[in-house]
Amino acid sequence: MPGEEIASGLFLTEAVVDWLSPPPLIDTTFARWDEAVGTARLLHFDTETTGLAGGTGTRAFMMGAAHWEQNGRFRIRQLTITTMAAETAMLQTFAGWLHDDTILVSYNGKSYDAPLLATRYRLARLPNPLTGLRHLDLLHPVRRHWKGVWENCRLATAERQLLGVVRDDDLPGSEAPAAWLTFLRGGPATNLRRVAHHNVQDLRSLAGVLLRVSRLGARPPAAE
Amino acid sequence: MNALPDRYQAADDLVLRGPSDGRALAQRLSKRYAERITGSFVVPGREGSFAPLPADLPPALAHALRSRGIDALYSHQAEAWVATQRGEQVAIVTPTASGKSLCYTLPVLSAAMKQGAKALYLFPTKALAQDQVADLLELNKAGELGVKAFTFDGDTPGDARQAIRLHGDIVVSNPDMLHQAILPHHTKWAQFFENLRYVVIDEVHTYRGVFGSHVANVIRRLKRVCAFYGVTPQFILCSATIGNPKEHAEALIEHPVTAFTQSGAPSGDKHVLLWNPPVVNPDLGLRASARSQTNRIARLAIKAGMKTLVFAQSRTMVEVLTKYLKDVFDHDPRKPPRIRAYRGGYLPTERRAAEREMRAGSIDGIVSTSALELGVDIGSLDVVVLNGYPGSMAATWQRFGRAGRRQQPALGVLVASSDPLDQYLVRHPEFFEGAPPEHARIAADQPLILLDHIRCAAFELPFVGDEVFGPGAATPWLEVLGEEGVLHREGNRWEWIADSYPANAVSLRSVADGNFVVVDRTGGKQTIIAEVDFTAVPVTLYEGAIHMIQSVPYQVERLDWDGRKAFVTRTHVDYYTDAIDYTKLKVLDCFGSSSAGRGEAHHGEVHVVRRVAGYKKIRYYTHENIGYGPVNLPDQELHTTAVWWQLAQRELEQAFDGRQQALDGFLGAAYALHIVATVAVMAESRDLQKSVGSSDGAWFVASDIAGRGQLRGMDGQPAALAPDAPFTPTVYLYDAFPGGVGLSAPLFERREDLVRMAMTLVDRCDCMAGCPACAGPILAADEAAADTPKALALRVLGLLVAL
Repeated sequence: MPGEEIASGLFLTEAVVDWLSPPPLIDTTFARWDEAVGTARLLHFDTETTGLAGGTGTRAFMMGAAHWEQNGRFRIRQLTITTMAAETAMLQTFAGWLHDDTILVSYNGKSYDAPLLATRYRLARLPNPLTGLRHLDLLHPVRRHWKGVWENCRLATAERQLLGVVRDDDLPGSEAPAAWLTFLRGGPATNLRRVAHHNVQDLRSLAGVLLRVSRLGARPPAAE
Repeated sequence: MNALPDRYQAADDLVLRGPSDGRALAQRLSKRYAERITGSFVVPGREGSFAPLPADLPPALAHALRSRGIDALYSHQAEAWVATQRGEQVAIVTPTASGKSLCYTLPVLSAAMKQGAKALYLFPTKALAQDQVADLLELNKAGELGVKAFTFDGDTPGDARQAIRLHGDIVVSNPDMLHQAILPHHTKWAQFFENLRYVVIDEVHTYRGVFGSHVANVIRRLKRVCAFYGVTPQFILCSATIGNPKEHAEALIEHPVTAFTQSGAPSGDKHVLLWNPPVVNPDLGLRASARSQTNRIARLAIKAGMKTLVFAQSRTMVEVLTKYLKDVFDHDPRKPPRIRAYRGGYLPTERRAAEREMRAGSIDGIVSTSALELGVDIGSLDVVVLNGYPGSMAATWQRFGRAGRRQQPALGVLVASSDPLDQYLVRHPEFFEGAPPEHARIAADQPLILLDHIRCAAFELPFVGDEVFGPGAATPWLEVLGEEGVLHREGNRWEWIADSYPANAVSLRSVADGNFVVVDRTGGKQTIIAEVDFTAVPVTLYEGAIHMIQSVPYQVERLDWDGRKAFVTRTHVDYYTDAIDYTKLKVLDCFGSSSAGRGEAHHGEVHVVRRVAGYKKIRYYTHENIGYGPVNLPDQELHTTAVWWQLAQRELEQAFDGRQQALDGFLGAAYALHIVATVAVMAESRDLQKSVGSSDGAWFVASDIAGRGQLRGMDGQPAALAPDAPFTPTVYLYDAFPGGVGLSAPLFERREDLVRMAMTLVDRCDCMAGCPACAGPILAADEAAADTPKALALRVLGLLVAL
């Protein structure tokens, strides 16, 4: 497992990279918010989970978060658990990354990641740190502008169309659960590393799509 | 519709002179049709027993009750209040319309008003849940109580669900929703569970057999989730009359309960008649149909100005009887209808409309399946006619309970069908009068059911250490699930790891899931006009079937099995259709054997295949068979448990002239054994089935049109056995649920009794050669035979009886 074991079964990987040059304030007209928000408040996040079935039996085994630091560099942190018991430590660590004024950025996170984490915090008997935080879910503006224009509105499509990103050797999201299970049952970590790589790319794309849609303002859809 | 003159007018007038109530009609029918009435008795009414509104009731609630005309409680309501306030688990067992719901409404509303406590109500059907919420809302409005009650079921829109979870004080749902939607998402309901004080389960008598065994396990899961949120809710259960209400309630919630069984509600006298249709062919013991008799009694009652409810055993029979009554009472399309059909399979709006019209009194006759057996509020009625025995004493009394308004005498008539159980009952009125209602049985620890629910429970919360679920530590089951790859063991915890939602794969009500929708394509449109249960599909929605809705016939043109759809068009035919089905069995494993007379008895595991081979077309009114059609549907298969008897070939060769004789004897013996076994274990007859075949499944025996045993091969086609082929005919009684729900073990224990009882039944029957009440129906030609089917059945039973 790459990264540092910060608690039993919980691994943290960190990278600081140059990634785009955000303005100090992000225009949020696209999300129909009243005012621009400080870039320093943004936290992009994405989870990798054991499946899509929903309910109390689905969990996150990897949580990625990324933000721009004061010096303009992009800091990416990932938590991965290698035991079930480490989940509580992962949830606590992630909670420590959130502040009262944090603005979450996600792709479909309002419907998927946030409710899933709410369930996990509840099962771990921990307060849900996402409660009350503002949340920019980029899926909705992307849909408003490009639905019917692109073949679909998945993040992979948005990043290709808007950022020109073409992924190399990407592990499809649907294979993530099997990759972690294989590792959990004592198999090789090869595919789990590819999941981590995929997650990093998701976070970078998230930030890129955000900058792109924030420049749309309130322009009418499909005017491109 | 062609207006028929009322050809019964003159005859009916003779019976109907003068005013009528339940007693008068009972007397007139008894006089006019004395030879058809085999039993007549009166269940005396009783005075009401009342108690003042409890002093510790919140004043606003007492005010709301008074403003709705409730100034006092029935004694059982007051007793239930006291027991709930002491914190006891309570079961209330009183007849229909005795005000059961107030027994739980008072403690629930009181706790909601005083402590903001929440309550979960479970009803077996959505219709009952909707009634309950309507009642709660009225009471709430009357007293401005500020308590919020919502239904939560499959029809609840997604955007309303969040509000219900957060703000509902009383959530009214059903066991299926609890199982599939609430428990697997319990974290979304966290606030609700943290404040959950009462769990109300009404109509618990319906939670028996397979369904009840599932529900008991859902309750185990509910308690487990409650424990996670640190609450121990109090249970209030209600039941119609059954033989073992306290025991059944305790089996469901696995906790001692205080049971109240004395109703304080007043009731009028109830007159009960047992009615056997007249014999039309004494040689064969053939009687007029129950349908014709039911039609006649209902017609007379409605003409006498009495509100009448007819219960029929099948959806088809509901439609046939509705048509007959409509032909008499609803021939003028300009007038509002006086006759209504009511059954599952109608759309909810149509059922609601029927209920409203019944309550408003604008309907004079309603024909229903068991759908109206439960507490759906349709107002009060004068007469209840049962077209056939419902299969249990409890259901019989519950249906009769629908009749009776306040202190007026009411009438209930049981019309016997040719079904042997019916015939047994109407010929033994003393049994009927004295019989205690059946016991409700569940087998919550049935391995297949238990494993299903441990799987669901593991999804909801991880199992830790030697956690107990049901009969003991769940560990061995968890190991099975671990090997299956759905659980992962880490230290002493078992965590769900699969990408699946196990509750979706477990249906509480039937083995295979998925209702079929019926799509009407008449005139090029596509309209959904009905829904049909999976289990009913093979016998009602095959291609060619006439499917009736409010007695309007539709023909099934195409059945899309995988898509769960049947496409129909409106048709005009003078016949209805009836499926022909058969069953074959193969023994997989024998758990125990013993000698049985000169033969052997066994019990064990069997493989059952059921197939619908075709259907008959039957003309209205004359009921002649006017044709056949083929049916091509997948076989229904199950593994289950059975008890079986067989005789060695050498014994058969000594006792019978030929194999045909032996087969006829086995068919007759199976027929009689099935009757006595059904009564002995108080099973519902559909839960226990019979079959005659070879022990290796190579062939089975079906009755041909003449009622004679016909050997059929693996493919269901008539077959001949080579003279030197082994010949070991076997009688099977099997449990009609995968894995069995525990009917075959008690039958094996009582194997000697059963054979003896079957012998007595056949031997003492009044018929000459066999009849539907003993060894099965026969043809005139057999009457003269030296070896009648009756004698052959007795010979087989005689060989099996212990010496």
